[in-house]
Order: sequence, then structure tokens, then C-alpha cells
Amino acid sequence: MCFKNLPIEFDAQGKPFLRAGVANPYAPTTTAPRGVPAQLSADKVEELLRRNGYIKDLDFDPVTRVAGALAFHTVADFNARKVIEARSVATLFRGYEVIMVGRDPRDAIFITSRACGVCGGVHSVTSAMAIEMAIDCVPPPLGILIRNIALALEFLYDHPLHLHLLAGPDYSSAMVGPTNPSLLARARSTEAPRAELHGFRTMGELMDDLNPLSGKLYLEALHMTRVAREAYVLICGKYPHPQTIVPGGMSSTITLSVMNEMFTRLAQFFDYSKKLTAIWDDLTEFFYTANPAYKQVGSRRAHMIDTGIFDHPDAYDATYANAGAWGERRWATPGVIVDGELVTTDLHRLNIGVEEFVDHSYYEEWSGNGQRQRFPTDPAGNPLSPYHPWNKVTKPRPQGQSWKEKYTWDTTPRWDRQSMEAGAYARLWNTAVARKVPANPFIESTGTSLKLRLPKGALPEMEIEWKVPEVWNAFERNRGRAYCTAFTALVALNNWMAAMDRLKLGDTRTSTPFEIPKRGEQLGVGFWGAGRGYLTHHLVLDRGAVANYQIVTPSTWNASPSDRWRQPGPYEEAVLNTPLLEETDDPKQFKGIDILRAIRSFDPCMPCTTHIHSDAGVITREVNTCACGVDDDGG
Amino acid sequence: MRAAWTTTAASVRVIVAGVGYRNLRDHSVGVEVADRLETEAWPDGVVVEDLSYNPIAVIQRLEDEPADRRFQRAVVVAAVERSGRAAGTVAAYRWDGVLPVDEEIHRAVTEAVTGVIALDNTLVVTRHFGALPDEVVVVEVEPAVHEFGDTFSEVVGRQLETVCQLIRTYATSAEAVERLVRAPLGGVAQAGVRTS
Repeated sequence: MCFKNLPIEFDAQGKPFLRAGVANPYAPTTTAPRGVPAQLSADKVEELLRRNGYIKDLDFDPVTRVAGALAFHTVADFNARKVIEARSVATLFRGYEVIMVGRDPRDAIFITSRACGVCGGVHSVTSAMAIEMAIDCVPPPLGILIRNIALALEFLYDHPLHLHLLAGPDYSSAMVGPTNPSLLARARSTEAPRAELHGFRTMGELMDDLNPLSGKLYLEALHMTRVAREAYVLICGKYPHPQTIVPGGMSSTITLSVMNEMFTRLAQFFDYSKKLTAIWDDLTEFFYTANPAYKQVGSRRAHMIDTGIFDHPDAYDATYANAGAWGERRWATPGVIVDGELVTTDLHRLNIGVEEFVDHSYYEEWSGNGQRQRFPTDPAGNPLSPYHPWNKVTKPRPQGQSWKEKYTWDTTPRWDRQSMEAGAYARLWNTAVARKVPANPFIESTGTSLKLRLPKGALPEMEIEWKVPEVWNAFERNRGRAYCTAFTALVALNNWMAAMDRLKLGDTRTSTPFEIPKRGEQLGVGFWGAGRGYLTHHLVLDRGAVANYQIVTPSTWNASPSDRWRQPGPYEEAVLNTPLLEETDDPKQFKGIDILRAIRSFDPCMPCTTHIHSDAGVITREVNTCACGVDDDGG
Repeated sequence: MRAAWTTTAASVRVIVAGVGYRNLRDHSVGVEVADRLETEAWPDGVVVEDLSYNPIAVIQRLEDEPADRRFQRAVVVAAVERSGRAAGTVAAYRWDGVLPVDEEIHRAVTEAVTGVIALDNTLVVTRHFGALPDEVVVVEVEPAVHEFGDTFSEVVGRQLETVCQLIRTYATSAEAVERLVRAPLGGVAQAGVRTS
């Protein structure tokens, strides 16, 4: 059964419909999620704080080593060594949805890119795809292939950065020593099982080189970001905000020379992936063995959602009608995982299950007060919730922070009213289980794992295997991200080979001409992915201008607050399940390392803002994050 | 009006770098000045560039110079909000190069790789990793407005040519640089350096 909460059923042809006889089927009081965890009420937590000295507030503001502005509030029981309340706070308003209204849709490619200083290109492509769907424009095969390669390269910048600059230091000797000295002592005398691949004789040596600023792995990751970036700018002009993404493909000129220069950089990730996966396998196994309680750090239900990414040129036709078919031909299969089980790979089913709530967010409701639901169905006639992005209206309303009321600028996306997480690992999980990966020599989907055959470099050719994990926690997120680096490099390799074949045929066309219609109303959605997973841009065009634009990023899902049913967001749930394993009994000495490991394992990327002035008096830090202009290749 | 340089005017290799954002009104001072100066004829050894990007990539850019031709002086210009300065204030000083504690440097690296572009971040990160020349002249302009747009406030716009002239001087005159006070980042007012 695909939906267990929303009253959506399917006819014999698999067409969804709303169950008959359900009045107000999307009303929050009608359809509450069943069997989901719930936060304690704010009143209950306040009472516990008043009555028990060993229960204390523990705030992280800001959470460091994440992209953008994130704060995290917890209440911890230091006797039971557990967290009893967790609140994720996005402290900045993004506002791109507001900025986009009334503009030429082509502006979205450049404006929404600025949502992130790491993954601008993914927003550019997602907006281009939304426009393609709205205006019926299909890129030529080479345009699709090059777009796939570009985005793979962007992820090859992102994953090492997260693993060894942002999350990695949580496992470094500089961090583990002060928080868990006995663990570090054990690491110093524990041989690293995969030393022949990563070069570290003991786990202690490995942890030393995860140290920030000085560790070899930290410095190597900085270098690898350059390698990926250089390859990227060969086809995108500059990073992180490309100039060559257009509806209908890419405006880049692709030659054999460009392809060869790109390959010399891409090839460096084959060996690097072997090393990365060995490091994170060793780290994960070391912590599990040292203390099995680490399996609980960052644990939550394996509830995941991913739009899939990397289109097949024989399948992608930019239509919503065929999204289910072309989605399933992607290199990374779309899908929704509930309690570890894949419940759909159909982009229509994925799309119609998405809703966005604002009960604890600094926005006004746009539905439920008698307003007309703009789109009761999607373009294929499938039912849509009034809370669906195509129906959403962004109405910011800054106000004071209250755990009972509103406490974040993030919204609350839910799928089938359940709290889902997004991530590179969701990409792996769907693809491993669905067994729909295109035929190729390097990636094999087994139904329970992904086998990845990495070509020979300085290290020999090697097959590595990511297996669907038995537990879902902070360690598995990081390990998954390491394997996703290998997966991504191999997707790029497959697409590079296909692009070379096109060039050999003399097919150098990378884009399709288009015009923006000046009449009527059109809908589009870009189903794509960031390094961190799920990304959608929902677009409504009206007489050639943007009437509505809604972005849901991976961190919109992951950082979401609790919903009206008190179901925690993914960060919150993961922290609530995290035991406090630091070796100190003094709350004043407490660093919260396990809580931070839980949060950082999601690779938080809080979408950033430029300029918000609030007459209501909320003070925000103004942050500009667009690494504009870097690496202009002059071409 | 800029001076007519001779090829002997600069005895060291100098990079003049603008840091900032385009279309962010007064906070675009760095890129605007770099744009203006980039087209001028400079003595051999002086390079003008917009370094308004990820400071890690700036490191890699600086390290790409051949070992025997590394820059020996950087003249860096940007709009920076500092407390206690009037909008439009232009301040120039030799950075003392003192770095914050490691935790702050790591924070700066995090911001660098995730897209934040700011003068202090750029200097701290590039200095920490040894890419920055020993001699760094900072020219700061106190902005009046922080909002989208391609025009400057009147008070900052008035100073642009002054800023360009200062940079021409510090890029080409070791004596002029010598006369500048050494100061920490953000410590300009306390150090009593030139303002206008």
C-alpha cells in the first residue's frame, strides 16, 4: 500500500483517486498520521525542567560546521543521559519564492541558484527542468548527458567537503580525545582493517588526520574540491553559479578536448572513492565495536524520500504525464522508503503525497480559511492536497519564538503526513532496492545492495558494495555519503562514455530552442536532486510570468520542525533518539558531541538569505552566500 | 586620473584584489574598484583581479603562481561594516597578520567552502594556509546601505575615486606602504590609521 494516512487509493490501472465518503480528506483533523513518534508537549517539558535539577536546557546556537544558519534547542536528562526535547531552528528567511513572483521564468535559473553557495547548479537545473515541463521543451541527448555529468561533478565537490570538513572532525582525535578519552585510547591500539586502502595503520592515526585545519584528510578534501570544480567549470563556465544551464539543455560547447580534460579530473575520484569508503567503513565498525550504543546516535525510522536524478536521454521527455516512466529510467531511481521498505518509485505518487505545513513556522496559513484550492489535481488528473507546493502561497510572518507556537523559518514538508528525510543515501537506497538502474558495466543494483566497480587508478580495479543497513543512524548516513561518492563518479563515467559516443556520431547539439508562451497558464515541476538529496521546484506560469514558485530542498525536509501532530522533524527525531555517550558527569563540561554528530550526519544546508527587513522587529543576521565568479574559464 | 607608470615603478609582484558581491550596492565596492582598475595599464608585476569567491579557491589561485613569482604584496579592497565608523569612511592599513584561534579559523573555512564571501574570511583563510603574501594592505570602505542594487549610496560613491587612487599608490609605492600603520583586522580605528 502506497499511502496509509492520506485517503488516496488506486484503480485497476493504478490511477490514484480520493477515497469516497471522506469529507475534507486533507483536513489535518481528518487525516492524522498513525503510529508516528511524538514530542513531549512544551508544557510537559517546562514542568520537568522545573521539578528536576538534572534536566537542563542544552542549546546549540549556531550549530557550527554546517552550511548556513541553524540553531538547535534541546532539553537533556543528564541522569538518563538522553534528550527529551529537540527543536530545530532555521534562523533565516529564504524568500526566493517571494522574489520569483512576477518574473520571467528564465530568471529562476540564475536567481534560485543563489539559494546556496555550494549547490547553486542543482537549483539552476531544477528550475530549467520546471520551465521545460511548463513550456514543452525537450533537451537533445547530449544536453541531457552533459547536464548529468555537470551535476555529478557538483556532488563530487559536495560529498568530500561534507565528509572531511564538516562531519569528519566529529570523529577526529581533536574531538574524541576531550569527549571520550577512553575511546581515543582504544583507537590508538586498534589496527585499521582497511589500512592497505587508506594508509592509516591504526584508527588513532586515522582520527589524527581527520583533525580540522591540519589533518591530511581535511587538506586532501580541500584539494579534491578543486579537482571537481575544475571539471565542472569546463562545461558550466563557473562555480557555484553556472552560466550555461538553459531550459532545453546546456549552452556549453562540448568538444573532445573538453571531454578529455574533464575525464582527467573525474578519474581522480575513482581512487579517492576507494579510500573514502574504506575510511568510513573502518570508522563505523570501530565505533560500533567499541560501544554498540553508538548505533543509536542519530537513529530514526528509515523514512526517506528522493526524486531520483540523472536522466536517460532515451526516456526523458520533460512531460509531467510521463514523469513516472522517465523517472524510473534515471541512474538514481526516485522513491519513497517507509520503515525501510520502498513503497513507490513513481514520481506522480511521490509528488501527490507531498504537503507543506507551517504550524510551527513563521508563515501564515494559506489554506483552510475558505480560500479556493488553486489546483485540486495535478496535470495528470491525480488528486492534490491544498497543502501541496503547487497550491502553496508563501506568506512570511516574523514573530517571537515559542516552542508551543512558531519557532523556525523552515516549513514542515511531509509525505503521506510522515516525516521523511532526504540525503545522498536515500539515492543509494532507492537505487539499490528498486533494481531499475540502466544496464552498464559499473553499477549493479541487487535488490539489497549496490555493487560499484571502480576502475583501476593508482589503486587496482575494485568492486565495493553498499548494503542496505540494518540500522539507520548518523554513522550510516556518513558511510552512505562515502559510497555515494563512488556511485556518483560512476554515473558520471557512464554518462561521459555515452556523451563520447554522441560526439563520435557528430552529434554536438546540447540545447533545444524554446520560447516562453505569453498566453495561458502552465505548470511545471523540476524533480532533481542536490548533493544532499531531494529537490523540487514547482512552477506556475501565467501569461509568461511566474505566478507561483515553490522550492523544497533536502534541508527543508530534514530541518523541519515538529508538525501539528507533534511528530518531530528528522533532525529532531534523530536527536531525541541519541544517547549521551560523552565521558563526563558534569553538565558544564558537556560538549554535546553525540547530538552534533546526529545533526551533522544529515549534512545540513540551511538555505540562505540576502536581505530581509522585518517591520515586525525580528532581527536576523544578513548572510550572502554566493561564491559568484569563481573559476570563470573565460569561455 | 591615474599616473603614467613606468615598468620600474613596482619592484615587487603585487596583486590588487577586490572582494565583495555584485549588485549589492555599497557592498560591491571591492568588485567595482577591481573592475575599474583592471583595465588600466599597470607596471610589470602588478595584477588586478576580482577575488570575490570561495577563499579556498583564492588560495589555489594564489598558489598557482610559479614558486619564483609568488606575489609579495596584496592590496585588498572591500566594503566592511565596522563599529564606530561613519558611512563612507575609507581606512587603509597594513594587516598585522595575526590570526584568530583555530576554532575561528575552522569556522572561516566552513563559511568559505559553503559560499560566504567576506574580507575577513578571505584574509584569515588565505593567511592560515600560507597563500597570502607577507605584506597585506587592506583598504576598507564603511558602507551605508546593504541591499540589492547596482548603484552606490552617495556617501560611498563619492569615495570610489579616492579608493582607486589609494590603491594605485599602495600597489606601486613601497614607501607609501611603509608609512601605513600595522593594525589587526577590524582594529583600524583603535590603531589610528588613516581615514578620510
